[in-house]
Amino acid sequence: MNTATIILWIIALVMFLFSWKDSPDTVKRGGLLSFQTTKQNGLLIVLAFVIVGFVNVLSPQKLVQEWIGPASGLQGILLAEVVGMLLPGGPYVVFPLIAILSEAGAGIAPVITLITSWSTQSLLTLSFELPLMGWRFMLIRWVLGLGIPLLAGAAVLLLWG
Amino acid sequence: MPLFLKKNWVYILLIIVIILLGYLAYAQSGWSLVQEGFLKGFSILWHELPLLTAAFLTAGFLQALVKKEFITRWLGKDSGVKGILLACLGGGLIPGGPYAYYPIANALLKSGAGLGVLIAFVTAKNLWSVSRIPLEIAILGTTITVRRYLITFLIPPVLGIITEKIFGKFIKSILENVE
Repeated sequence: MNTATIILWIIALVMFLFSWKDSPDTVKRGGLLSFQTTKQNGLLIVLAFVIVGFVNVLSPQKLVQEWIGPASGLQGILLAEVVGMLLPGGPYVVFPLIAILSEAGAGIAPVITLITSWSTQSLLTLSFELPLMGWRFMLIRWVLGLGIPLLAGAAVLLLWG
Repeated sequence: MPLFLKKNWVYILLIIVIILLGYLAYAQSGWSLVQEGFLKGFSILWHELPLLTAAFLTAGFLQALVKKEFITRWLGKDSGVKGILLACLGGGLIPGGPYAYYPIANALLKSGAGLGVLIAFVTAKNLWSVSRIPLEIAILGTTITVRRYLITFLIPPVLGIITEKIFGKFIKSILENVE
């Protein structure tokens, strides 16, 4: 059990205690709403995890490593944005890979673009965003976000070369 | 049939993605890798089940507990910069992956939060994430981490404000997507 799980359980428990203090009806409604959201999205989340599983066994990490190499400048930033979208997994998986790229000579600007793109533009995340937030929200957030990793990289280039 | 497609297109889309990835796995090393893909997915799901459960419970009780008027006032479309900053703070502090914060964003959306607020929440989760800092420093070093936080610090609130200005009026149809 990791820290995130423990913290989220504490939050859930606090929510439950407040509902309990509020009224028995609130507790009942909370339980019902949790159940409904789970029922509504349960199968979709299972499908999303199957996608996560496949991306994991296909391990695009190797591909990424060969691909981005020591690319630099604006071209490096563009490449980093695309690669960031494809990087699967949480920080435990992604940061070590980025560290390898950084040690292999990728400049700080592409590295920061890469972290930012993985954070905001990850394609794998969309398989959870689409069922839970709908396509309109997903589209607005993702398309508006496209420029962010590029801007971040360009700013790093300007500030720290 | 069109109605079936219309009602279930998210399922269909995810299944198509699975088939495509399954084909890639098959082409790469045959059925064993396809099987491995499914097993890996289920094993990650099993591993994340405690986190998922906590996320859905939080989402449910949040909706039951917080009165709609409260959300509308603090996080609704007219809550302004104050609501967006509050959402950034919440997003930055909440731990866990997309299967943890999207159920909570879903609950906020259903309870009446505005679009800018929701965008700020998700973007702050992605860029401010406090729980990620120790790992980022440990693996990538202080220089990269500090520069990245400095460069991307303003993005969650600014993106929230801009999105609210341009697309804020779409919140009703966004809500229809998930109901």
